[in-house]
Amino acid sequence: MARIAVLPSDVADQIAAGEVVERPASVVKELVENALDAGATTVDVELEEGGRRLVRVSDDGLGMDRDDARLALERHATSKIRSASDLVGVRSFGFRGEALSAICSVSRFTVTTSMVDGAGTCVEAAGGAVHDVRETARRRGTTVSVQDLFFNTPARARFLRGTRSEWRATSDALVAIALARRDVRLRVTADAKDVMALAPAATLRDRIAALWGAGSAARFLDVDAVTGPIRVSGLAERPSEVGTASRRTALIVNGRSVRDLGLTRAAESAYRTALSPGLRPSFALEIQLPGDAVDVNVHPAKAEVRFHDRWEVERAVERAVRRALGVLDSAALVGAGVRTWHAPLVIGNDILPAPLASLPSSGGGVPLFDDPDPSGERHAATTGDVVAVPHLVQLRRTYLLYEHDDGVVLIDQHSAHERVLYERFTQQMSGGGASSQRLLMPETVHLSPRDAESLEGHRDALSKLGFELEPFGGHSVIVHAVPTPHRRFDALRCLRETLATLSGDRGATVHAGHELLVATVACKAAVKAGEPLLPDEMAALFRALVSTALPAHDVHGRSGIIRLTWDELDRRFGRR
Amino acid sequence: MRFTIAREKLQEALTNVAPAVPAKTTLPVLANILVEANERGVRFSGTDLDVAVSIEVPADVEVPGALTLPAKRLGEITRELPPAPVKIAALGEQRATLECGRTKFKLLGLPRDEYPAFAPVEFNTGWRVKSSVLHELISRTAFAVSTEESRPILNGVLWEVRDKLLRMVATNGHRLALMESPVEVGPGATGDFIVPPRALDQVRRVFPPEEEIEIGKGENHLAFRSPIASVSTRLIEGPYPNYDQVIPRDNDRFAIVDRPSLVSALRRMSVVASDQTHRVKLSFNTALLKFTVQTPDVGEGQDEIPVQYTGDALDIGFNSSYLLEILRYMPSDEVRFTFKTAERAATLLPENWAGPGKYVCLVMPLRLVD
Ligand SMILES: Nc1ncnc2c1ncn2[C@@H]1O[C@H](COP(=O)(O)OP(=O)(O)OP(=O)(O)O)[C@@H](O)[C@H]1O
Ligand SMILES: [Mg+2]
Repeated sequence: MARIAVLPSDVADQIAAGEVVERPASVVKELVENALDAGATTVDVELEEGGRRLVRVSDDGLGMDRDDARLALERHATSKIRSASDLVGVRSFGFRGEALSAICSVSRFTVTTSMVDGAGTCVEAAGGAVHDVRETARRRGTTVSVQDLFFNTPARARFLRGTRSEWRATSDALVAIALARRDVRLRVTADAKDVMALAPAATLRDRIAALWGAGSAARFLDVDAVTGPIRVSGLAERPSEVGTASRRTALIVNGRSVRDLGLTRAAESAYRTALSPGLRPSFALEIQLPGDAVDVNVHPAKAEVRFHDRWEVERAVERAVRRALGVLDSAALVGAGVRTWHAPLVIGNDILPAPLASLPSSGGGVPLFDDPDPSGERHAATTGDVVAVPHLVQLRRTYLLYEHDDGVVLIDQHSAHERVLYERFTQQMSGGGASSQRLLMPETVHLSPRDAESLEGHRDALSKLGFELEPFGGHSVIVHAVPTPHRRFDALRCLRETLATLSGDRGATVHAGHELLVATVACKAAVKAGEPLLPDEMAALFRALVSTALPAHDVHGRSGIIRLTWDELDRRFGRR
Repeated sequence: MRFTIAREKLQEALTNVAPAVPAKTTLPVLANILVEANERGVRFSGTDLDVAVSIEVPADVEVPGALTLPAKRLGEITRELPPAPVKIAALGEQRATLECGRTKFKLLGLPRDEYPAFAPVEFNTGWRVKSSVLHELISRTAFAVSTEESRPILNGVLWEVRDKLLRMVATNGHRLALMESPVEVGPGATGDFIVPPRALDQVRRVFPPEEEIEIGKGENHLAFRSPIASVSTRLIEGPYPNYDQVIPRDNDRFAIVDRPSLVSALRRMSVVASDQTHRVKLSFNTALLKFTVQTPDVGEGQDEIPVQYTGDALDIGFNSSYLLEILRYMPSDEVRFTFKTAERAATLLPENWAGPGKYVCLVMPLRLVD
């Protein structure tokens, strides 16, 4: 029964055309994808000279009958679609019917295939011309051998690089597939040496551990969030680890590895303020969305996809990653990164603290930190808040310490307060602004010319934050009203320090919107290291901190929370 | 030094002096109490270098002399002693024995010389005032001082001493309290002093209301004394800001409000007010005062109380904790609330107050955002 058919030309014409075979890596990618489309559970890849001499891919998939094996080498011959409408939501890797014909036309090509153990077919071709079709014995499955790539197109052969560099590209292609299809066993040999041997893995984390080692996998936080019809899951690097190892990213859309600058940016922007400038995180994210929301027929090598609502997908990615960064597990670890932390995953409802109206009536705030000692619970009576506050101890008037089920947690009081204020101020900037206290005796502040200039640029924003300022000749300004973000707040000092920082930091004023201003005011307004805090103040700070989106990170990309696990302590005391 | 003192007298002296002893200090001798025995009795003193408190109690002094003893331990011992005469005797420069009945202690102190000398104060050019007058001035104003470190002047209470008038003023820049009492002081003693509220607290604690207090001035000090007690304090250096010019004279709208109902309405509203700004909106309408609170992450609240008000409707926002604080010190059951616009200072005054003198509190509104 012939399953493969040649697509009518009007259908073939609608398929994104272009170079399919550029180098051995593309051959490997196409052949492995074909094997997976055929339902293989084990795929073996053999390479010689980085694939320039030989690429052989064997699978235990469906196989083909004699007619199909012959037809598969024709252009636009495919079993995967029949009409243009089948392209919508197509789940197979292949759909163009181009790969085998393109590869076959630039190599010495052999396919051996069988649909039942025993009787099979072998087709041999060179430079696109079939010169032998014969019967052969083979177990169920297919083996495709591609020898002497570009032997008949010397101009293209010249562009091939050395073995190592071709291997690197091939390995990237294999990793991309291995991450997307964790259920298959994948074995790769290069010049008769084993270079990759992956057993089927249950999770992305397991696959990453198999690929890059268990230590690498421990660098990552779990991501999993559903926004409307879009589910984003996978792994994102813990902010404190970013920059300490080479960067790796992977994006998988509906099971397909893709490149996508927009989604990469979205994932990175979730880290905004949690990383020092210039650092870029590693991540491996899987995006699942309805088949008709994404178009895979846009790139000749299928390396890119088009989203019908790109903004929605980017938002879902950013939100999912941001959520993952909002958990205690995202805080830096002291010592070996053993992943034994079982903090609840979700904190709030959304990236930003939602206004009351949009909160569900109950269960809105899942506590971030499970309380180690229920008797130490204290609830904010006035707000009906459900955050259980652990017993907090202030150390060196700088850090707050408490005991968690999994270890000891240290919070930097300044970073924590800064994060709280940053998120509150950001909200005020986009909302109606802060309420501000008018002064009985307006204060005149004298500024340096530079500070006065930076004030001019930020006057509206400062007014939204609650500073009512009136220019008063020269470089003076009269302060009529000030914000009152907390009991110890010193408005004039905060204003002066903010302006000095802003004018000293000229390059950075192009920062997104008022982010820099808000971050600076938050920094200057927050309690400093060295200030003693009362138990009530510590509890209030803790409560406010856990309801922020990124509690574990200050707004400059440094850690705000550090954890020391019992495991690590036990290890250091030789208990283990 | 050797003396015998009644246990209650010792206890009384120590409870009065102990609050002047700093809890933490880098100068070890300040954790001690200075004990000086002379012909009249024994004087106990404590200080943190800014504020000093001394109490003199009658005792049977056999040998005059002085030394310093650890304040905390001495206090704890005294509290546990049986009700019998206590005999304290110095053993050399820095040790003492304490005996009471069959109880005996040896205590390690520090020599008298190590204790800082008190700043000299001149009482001849000073004045006298009844303790109860001071109590009232202090209690109605000191709450309004600022706790911000950047403006130390506002950390103190301004005390203006005039011929026939004593006035105290305190503010943190957001709200202000001012009280005046008609008192004959005499022309010689006039002056302005910025007094740390901690010192005024001690004055209130140490001198019973019915006592007559003598006040003396030093270089940069002020001292209060009665025949048995004295409190002296370093002053904060001025000048104090010109508070008079911020007191509104043209507030043309006013409301008369029942204080208890205003307090309870504000308390209810505070429950949902923001922890940071405590913002409450007051809407004055004919005969009705409405309250509204809207706090983004918390909720909303509304309330209303009847008032005497006839002006145009006016919405004005306040920090409810400022209002509640002021209302706590208002001496009358009804208060007069005056204002002009939602941006200008509002005043609160006691209505139908029988007390002598004048009391006014100012509070600046919060900018309302909708
Ligand atoms: N390993 C294999 N096992 C079974 N059938 C295969 C295998 N490889 C290819 N085929 C059959 O050959 C056809 C042509 O393969 P080819 O890769 O050229 O096209 P395709 O996979 O349909 O589309 P694309 O060009 O997008 O990869 C496939 O549709 C499939 O039916
Ligand atoms: Mg294919």
